[in-house]
Amino acid sequence: MKSTIICIVCPVSCPVDVEWTKEDGVLGIKNHLCKLAGPYVESELFDPRRLLTTSIPVDSGDWPLVSVKSDPPIPKNMMLEAMDEITGVRVKAPIKVGDVLMTDILGTGCDIVATRNVKKV
Amino acid sequence: MGDREFADVAIIGGGPAGLAAAAEAKGAGAKRVIMIERDERVGGILNQQVHDGFGTKVFKEALTGPEYSAIYEDRVNERGVETWLKTTVTELTKDRLITVRSERGVEKIQAGAVVLAMGCRERTRGAIGTPGTRPAGVYTAGAVQYYMNVSNLAVGRKVVILGSGDIGLIMARRMVLEGAEVVCVAEILPQPSGIAGNIVRCLEDFDIPLYLSTTVVEIHGKERVTGVTLAEVGPKMGEKKGTRRYFDCDTLLLSVGLIPETELANELGLTMSPVTNGAIVDESFHTSAPGIFSCGNVLQVHDVVDYATLEAEKTGIAAARYALTGDLPEAKISISAGAGLRYVLPANISGEDSIDFTMRPWKEEHDKSVVFKSGGEVLRRLKMPHMEPAGMIRVRVGKGRFKHVENNEITVEVED
Repeated sequence: MKSTIICIVCPVSCPVDVEWTKEDGVLGIKNHLCKLAGPYVESELFDPRRLLTTSIPVDSGDWPLVSVKSDPPIPKNMMLEAMDEITGVRVKAPIKVGDVLMTDILGTGCDIVATRNVKKV
Repeated sequence: MGDREFADVAIIGGGPAGLAAAAEAKGAGAKRVIMIERDERVGGILNQQVHDGFGTKVFKEALTGPEYSAIYEDRVNERGVETWLKTTVTELTKDRLITVRSERGVEKIQAGAVVLAMGCRERTRGAIGTPGTRPAGVYTAGAVQYYMNVSNLAVGRKVVILGSGDIGLIMARRMVLEGAEVVCVAEILPQPSGIAGNIVRCLEDFDIPLYLSTTVVEIHGKERVTGVTLAEVGPKMGEKKGTRRYFDCDTLLLSVGLIPETELANELGLTMSPVTNGAIVDESFHTSAPGIFSCGNVLQVHDVVDYATLEAEKTGIAAARYALTGDLPEAKISISAGAGLRYVLPANISGEDSIDFTMRPWKEEHDKSVVFKSGGEVLRRLKMPHMEPAGMIRVRVGKGRFKHVENNEITVEVED
C-alpha cells in the first residue's frame, strides 16, 4: 500500500510517502528531511502514539504548575483517559526536569515526567 | 539611581533568542554580558509552550518548551551571563546607551554591542477589526496558553478559534485535553496558517473541524460571549452572501498572527524590511546602526525555535567580536528575493563564509528548486520537495559558491 503521512516529530512537517504492507511492515519511505521520520511513520501505521503534555499543580513552588509529559508517548486513543487520571494529582516542590511524578499510567508502561524545574519557596 | 554600568554586550530580551545570543557572546570572549528581561523569569514564550517539538534540529530529539529553555538557562548561568529580571528597556540610543527601569529605579548601561532579541507579541482583536459587541470571553491564543500552562486558570468551556496559526492549533488540543469543547477553527485564508503537523495532531486527532476561507462576521453576547456567526469569504476577502452560520460558544480565541516588538528598532531609525517587519541585517545579523544586532522573532517570525537559536548564536558571536575588535566582515554582496519568494535573509553577505539563508515562499509548491544566481549564472540549486508559506526554509550555501559572484549581486528564486 502507498500512503502519505505527515511527520509530526518537528515543525517542518515532512509529508512522507510510505510504501507498506500489513505483513511486511514499511517497505520504503521518501520525501523526508531527517532520520526521525522513519520510526515515526512505522509507529503511526502500526501503533499510533502521541506525547501527552499537560501540567500538574505544585504546592510551595516558585511556579504554580509543573509541566509534564508522558514517557514514552502513550497510545493515541488513550490521551483523554490519561488526562482523567492526571487531573486531581498535586505534587510538592522542589521538582527537577526528568522527575517521575506518576508511574505506569493506565497500565500503559508510560510514566508522567516533569519537564520544568520548580524550586521550593 | 545607580551609576552608569558598562557591558561588552547587552542583550535585550531573555527568550530563546536572547538566551542563545547571551551564552555565545560570553563564550566568544565578551567579558561582561548583561541580558535584560522584563518578565520575572527567562525563557520567554517557551515557558508556556508545554508541548513538544522543540530541539529536533539542535538536539536531534523533540523536547518540550520548558525542557528546551532549561538547557539554555543553565548555559547562560554556567557561563556567567548577568541576567537582569523584571527590567524594562525604555530607551536605546545609537551610541548604545540603554536606559532601563526596574524595582531598583532607573539605570543606564553603556554597551559595546547591543543585541535586539525582544521577540513578538500577538495581533489582537483591534488589529483585525472584528465586528460585534465587546463581551468578555475574547482572548488571544497565546494569552490563554499563559493562563492555562503557567497561571493555572481556565477561560471557557465551549470555544471557537479564529485563525489557524500554530498557537491557535496547539491551544485547540490543549483545551480539549483540559475538558473544554472546541467547536471549530475558522481560517480566513484558503490554506491553514499553521504547520501541517499541527493540523494532524491538534485538529484531526480530536475531530475538530477546520473551515477555510471563513471568518467571524459577528460576535454575540453582552456581558459574556454567547456565540459567533461565521461566513465564507471570496477571493478578495469579502463576505459571501448566504454563507452565514451561527455557533454557540462562550469563548473566542484569536490566533491571527504575530507582530515583532520593534518599538526600540523604530525609534533608532533602523532600516526595516516591509516584508518581515524586522530590521534589515547582514550575515553577522548586524543592523544599519553600528554595533546594534537583531535576531529571533523580532527579526523574522520563526516557526522552528531551533532556527531562532542557531541564528541567535551567530548573532551573539558577532556582537562579541564587534565589542572586542570593532570589526566585522564587510558584507558587500547584496541578496535579493526573486520569483516565488517573499523574502530572503540576510540582505548582505561578505562571500567569505558559508551562509545559512532563511526565506519564505509566496505559496505552496511541490518538487521545485531554490536557485541562487549571479549575472545569469547558477551558483547553487537546492531541490525542495515541498514548500509552504507557513514553513520557513533554511538552506546552507557553502562559501566556495560565492567565488563567481558578479557585480556583488545575488538573486534567489524558485524554479522548476
